[in-house]
Amino acid sequence: MSATRLKRGVLGLALAFLATGTALAETEIAFYHYQTGGSYQVFRSILDEFEAANPDITVRDIFAQSEQITAEVQAALAAGRPVDIATVIGKNIVFFLNNTGAVDMVEASEGDTAWLDGYLPNFLDLGRVGDAVYAIPHAYGTPMLYYNKDIFTQAGLDPEAPPRTWAEFLAAGKTIAETTGLAGGAHLHAAMGDYGTMVMVNNAGATYLNAQGTKAEFDTPEGIAALQNWQDMATSGMMPIAGDSDWSAAFNAGQMGMYITSSAGLRGSVAAAEGKFELGVTNYPLFEDQPRRVSNSGAALMLYAPEGERREASMALLRFISQKEVANRWSRESGYMPLIQDPLSDPAMAAYVAEFPYVRPVIEQMADTIPTNVWPAKGTLEAQTEIRAMLDELWAGRRTAAEIVPETVARVNAALAVNN
Amino acid sequence: MVDTALSNAGPDARPHPRGGLQRPLAAGWAHLRGRAGTGSLVPWLYLAPTLVLLAVFTYWPLIHTAYLSLVEWNLNPGQPARFVGLDNYSRVAGSNLFQAALGNTLVYLAASIPLKVLLPIPIAVFLWSLGSKGHIYRAVLFLPTLISFVVVGVAVMWILNPIFGYAKQYAAMIGIRMPNLMADPDTAIWVIIVVSSWKVLGFNVLLYLAGLASINRDYIEAMRMDGAGDGTIFTRLIWPLLTPTLMFVLISTLIFTMQQVFTPIDLMTQGGPSNSTTNLFYMVYQYSFVTFDVGGGAAGTVMLFLLLMVMALVQLRLIDRRVQYKQ
Repeated sequence: MSATRLKRGVLGLALAFLATGTALAETEIAFYHYQTGGSYQVFRSILDEFEAANPDITVRDIFAQSEQITAEVQAALAAGRPVDIATVIGKNIVFFLNNTGAVDMVEASEGDTAWLDGYLPNFLDLGRVGDAVYAIPHAYGTPMLYYNKDIFTQAGLDPEAPPRTWAEFLAAGKTIAETTGLAGGAHLHAAMGDYGTMVMVNNAGATYLNAQGTKAEFDTPEGIAALQNWQDMATSGMMPIAGDSDWSAAFNAGQMGMYITSSAGLRGSVAAAEGKFELGVTNYPLFEDQPRRVSNSGAALMLYAPEGERREASMALLRFISQKEVANRWSRESGYMPLIQDPLSDPAMAAYVAEFPYVRPVIEQMADTIPTNVWPAKGTLEAQTEIRAMLDELWAGRRTAAEIVPETVARVNAALAVNN
Repeated sequence: MVDTALSNAGPDARPHPRGGLQRPLAAGWAHLRGRAGTGSLVPWLYLAPTLVLLAVFTYWPLIHTAYLSLVEWNLNPGQPARFVGLDNYSRVAGSNLFQAALGNTLVYLAASIPLKVLLPIPIAVFLWSLGSKGHIYRAVLFLPTLISFVVVGVAVMWILNPIFGYAKQYAAMIGIRMPNLMADPDTAIWVIIVVSSWKVLGFNVLLYLAGLASINRDYIEAMRMDGAGDGTIFTRLIWPLLTPTLMFVLISTLIFTMQQVFTPIDLMTQGGPSNSTTNLFYMVYQYSFVTFDVGGGAAGTVMLFLLLMVMALVQLRLIDRRVQYKQ
C-alpha cells in the first residue's frame, strides 16, 4: 500500500469518525408518558414538530399505563435510567417532590420564566413550592356533569335546564329513577374513593386535607353535608351502588340519566352517545351558596434532566409545548382541558369551541379549578382505605354521615400521624 | 480409517455412545476433583447455574426485602435509608387494612380446599371412569384455564353489572330482584372465590386425571372380583394412591390461590367494598406500587412470606405422612 493511499484511508476514517461524532452530538431526552390511541398520536406529532424545529434533539417517548406511570418513573429514577421529563399523577407530586431529585423549572429557566406565565396560576399551584415550580400542567381534567337529554325528556324534565346545584341534581335523579325506572345519576369516586370524596367536600366549602396532606379536615358541617348528599343519592335509589366503570358503561349505553366524571372522558362520551341519545354537558353542581371549587384530575410534567445538554433540550421542549397554539392543539385533539390562560383568544380554539360546544363549560370551569390534594409518604394507603370503606358504609345507609364521617376522619388522622 | 484422537488415547479408551472419548473426559473430571482436594467440586459445578440464578433472583431479593422492611427509604439512590427497627411491621400489622387482608386471605385459603382441591376429585374420577369417552368433557372443563383472567373478570363484571347486567335482566324476567353482589361486603368475596375456582377447576381435574392414570386398573378388577363396591374401591384403593397428587394439588393450590385472586381483585373490586375482598398480596401491591410506601410493602412481604412458609411446613409435616407413594 502506497503512502498516498494510506493517507487517504486515514483521512477517510477521520471523516467517518467526524460524521459519527456529529451524530453522537445529537441530544436524546426521555419523556415518560401514558398517552394512548388518539392522544398518543397528537402527543407524538407535537414531539415530531419539536424535533423538526430542533434537529439536534431527539425525544424518546416511553409509555406506561396511567395506573403504572408513577411506579415506572419511580423505578427508572431508582435504577438510574435516564428520565428527563416525567408525567406524574397529580396526587403523587408531593411524594416526588420530597423523594426524588425533581428540578425547579424556575431555576432551570435561568431568569427567562416568561414561558410559565401563560399557564393559569391556579394550575401551577399544584407544583409550586414558594417561588419554585416543580410541575407544570399537562393532562388535566375537571369533573363535569354529563346528562342524557332524552332521558330528561322521558322523565318530564327540561333537557335544556340541567341541574345547577346538588339539591337539583338529587331531585332530578329521583325523578328519573321513579318515572323511567332507569338509574338517575352517579358521581365518580376514582381509585380508593379518594378523588370523588375530595371533590365533593372541597366543593361544599370543607377542607379535605391540610396543605401538607398530613391531616384530614372534612369532619366539618360542610364536609358532612356533602357526604350526606352522597349517601342520599344511594339510599334514594337514584344511584345504583357500583364502580366507576359500571356507571360509565351505563351512562354511555343510555341507561343512566346523569354522570359526573372527568372532562378527559368528553370525547369518549360524545362518541358513545352518537346515534343513541342526545348528550348534554354542564358544569359541576354547586353546593348550596358555596362558590364552585373543583380539584383537577390528571397529571403534570416534572423535570429530571441533569444539567447540561439534556437539561437544555428538555427545557426547550417544555417551552415549546407551553406555547398557546401548541398547548391548545394538545387540548383540542386529546380532549384534556385547556391549560393556557384565555384559550378562546386563539382563533383556532375559538373555531373549535364553536364547532364542538361541549367543551365550553370545561373552559368556563378552568377558573374554578383548585389543585388536587396530595398525600404524604406514609400512612396513605391505610388512610385511603378508611375513606373507601367510609363510602361503602355511607352508601349502605345504616348510619348517617354525621355518625360515620367523624369516626373516619379520626381513623384517617391516626393513620397519617406517623408523618408528624 | 482410524480416528486420530482414538488412536492417541491409549488402550483403555473407547468411543462414548454420544461420540468423543469417555476416558479422557473422566480423566479430566478426576483431575478437577484432584485439584479441589475434596472431591466435591464436580457436583457444585453442576449445581452452579441453578444456584447462581436462585441466589440472584430469589434469595438476594428476599434478603434485600427483609432489609427494606427495617428501614425508611424511598428507593432514591441519593437519599440514605434510615433504620427504624420493627416500626414498619407494627404500623402495617396494626392497620385495619392488614387485619382485613389477613382475614380475607384465610377465607380465600379455606374456601379453596373444598372448591379447588376436593371438588375436582369426584369429577376426575368420573371422567377417568368414562375412559376415552371423557375427552370432550376434559376439554370443556379445561377451557376456562386457557381464558385470561382479565377477560373472565370483565365478563363477570358485565354479567353482574347492577344497572344493566345480564343477571339483573334475567332475574327480572322471572320476577326476582337481583342483589348487587359486588357491592355487598358479605357477597363480593364469594364472587371472586367462585370465579377463581371455576378458572382453576379444570386444571386440577387434569392433574388428578394424570394421577389416576398411574393406577393399574387390574387392581380394581381384582377388588371387584372380591366383591368390593365403588365406595370401597375409592376409599381403599383410589384415594390412597391419589394422595401424592392430592398433596401436590393442595400445596400448589393454596399457594397460588393467594396470587391467583390478585387479578380479579384489582379488576373487579380493588379490595372493596369495605376491604372485604382484599388479601395480603393485594395489600403488598398497594403499599409498594400505589402509595410507594417501600418499608410498609417490604414488611407486608416478609409477613406474607412467613405465612406461606408456615403453611408449607404444616402441610409437609402433617399431610405428607399420610401420603401413599407406592402402589
